[in-house]
Amino acid sequence: MGLGEGAQRRIAVVLADVFGEPIEVAREVAAFLDGYLRQVPSRAALGLRVVVWAVTWLPLVFVGVPLPADALSPATRSRYLAAWSGSRVYLVREGFYLLKAIALMGWGANLAVRERLGVGPLAVRRP
Amino acid sequence: MTDDAADFVVIGSGAGGATAALVLAEAGREVVVLEEGPEVRDEDRGQGSVASFMRLFRDRGTQVAMGRSVIPILQGRCLGGTTVVNGAIVWRLPESSYERAFGAAGARDAIPLAALEARMDRIERDLSVGPAPDRLLGGNGSRMRDGAAKLGWSGHAIRRNVLDCQGSGRCLEACPTRRKQSMEVTYLPRAAGLGARLMADHEVRTIETAAGRAVAVVGRRADGSPFRIAARRGVVVAASAVQSPCILSRSGLGPRGHVGRHFRVHPATAVAGVYRDPVRLWEGATQSYEIDEFRHEGFKMEVASLPVELAGVRLPGLGEAFQRAMADYPNMAVWGVQVLAEAEGAVSPARNRANIEYTPVRQDMERFRKGVRRLAEMHFAAGAVRVFPGVHGGPDVLTSPDELGVLDDLSLDPRDWSMMSAHLFSTCRMGADERAGVVGFDGAVHGVRGVWVVDASALPTNLGVNPQHTIMAMSMLLSERLAS
Repeated sequence: MGLGEGAQRRIAVVLADVFGEPIEVAREVAAFLDGYLRQVPSRAALGLRVVVWAVTWLPLVFVGVPLPADALSPATRSRYLAAWSGSRVYLVREGFYLLKAIALMGWGANLAVRERLGVGPLAVRRP
Repeated sequence: MTDDAADFVVIGSGAGGATAALVLAEAGREVVVLEEGPEVRDEDRGQGSVASFMRLFRDRGTQVAMGRSVIPILQGRCLGGTTVVNGAIVWRLPESSYERAFGAAGARDAIPLAALEARMDRIERDLSVGPAPDRLLGGNGSRMRDGAAKLGWSGHAIRRNVLDCQGSGRCLEACPTRRKQSMEVTYLPRAAGLGARLMADHEVRTIETAAGRAVAVVGRRADGSPFRIAARRGVVVAASAVQSPCILSRSGLGPRGHVGRHFRVHPATAVAGVYRDPVRLWEGATQSYEIDEFRHEGFKMEVASLPVELAGVRLPGLGEAFQRAMADYPNMAVWGVQVLAEAEGAVSPARNRANIEYTPVRQDMERFRKGVRRLAEMHFAAGAVRVFPGVHGGPDVLTSPDELGVLDDLSLDPRDWSMMSAHLFSTCRMGADERAGVVGFDGAVHGVRGVWVVDASALPTNLGVNPQHTIMAMSMLLSERLAS
């Protein structure tokens, strides 16, 4: 179970806003999510895939706009993401936390991000 | 199906299993160690969090306990078990913890503290245990030391099983320089040198019995092919507090009212602080300093040098706010609090995984609230300019110790907290008879001959201190008796 090309493109726009990163970095994080989904056990993959779908397609529920998240205006998308991350409903908040936690592993592995923070390489270099 | 045989088949290669294997091999027994996970190759070491989760952790790091909230349960799943991916913390069992566990279970005569201490002496020699030197405290540990000193709290450099640690801050990724004295570089190769056979990628599903006695284990290899290995003298189960009860349960062994019950943990959470000067979490020992001032109140605090890809999840903010927070990562210290929890959960087998049910009780959450308040207080004492408590409904950030009082009102709802646990206990707990537990004080499973449990699942309850040392000492003691 992975992310199709369209799903990756759409969630990349969302992740760019979550992390405040350029879309190029966010696309790499979305590609990481795709690879992650293909490797983890099916139950975990299904849970994460549902969250990706919900974050992409539920602006109508959260902010009353009948568009996918990547098509929202930046201001509306910001309000939409804040509604997820600060929701009083545990499952909503936890779902977003799950997406952020997994995506962060891709973000933290990104070379440009690591160079900017000065934290050195992700993996130990071997001779 | 391949048929093989040994005197003892040891299931699991972590702290309990590796110790049992070594002791039995030293006694001249023919031993096979079966590990569900893979070998740890040099190229697997220090490859970052994701690679570590994918190869070395159970369920690729996605295992959780379900209850009122979702709690990640982290376990190693590789040759050497969790010892490969832990922080190398070695805690000698204090008398109070001994009384809480073995004493309260009625095991004082069968498992005296002095007998455990004698085994701990040997283990500490074998694994080069000693306190982290100042050069390995790193910015994270030295700030905790400074904060505790200013507050007058009892703290100390963590005693670790390392030999000439290089301070690469990658304990959780399998030590890249093999300096951590985890089981795959110590007891397992020693056991192999004495003739024990180590078989990675072998998952045991059931224990076969005949006439009330264990005769073999049956399972499947990573490639899906089945195997069966006969056990002439018996089976030693050390597959962890999650997997050991699942194996017994699938095999129909042990008192049904206790197998998989009484699941105990030390749940943990973390508080980050940002300092004026660089902390550089990626330098020094991953876990180098701890505070035991509040152990009698049910919680213990230790540094947790998380890599950037894991540390950010606890920080508030989206977009620019997230960027501002993460720009402070080089100046960030991360400290955790581990709670001696009173809640009990349950573990049961499901298809290709385990179901884990667990919800902390109010007393546990009160300990968390006190612990987070103390961590925040210590951050400020150490010079932090911003502190992130990380609890939903509470303040996103504190900028002054004058604000600490708000933490006394933090929610006690587990759903508002980000917790995890790697210390798991008691799902095959000891008891004098089958009314009290799954195994007797000799580790033997009640109601069947030839099956012993020597891992954390056999501990009568949680300890309030890091358990690897106690698991190994208990396994060593019980295995010596078994060998003789």
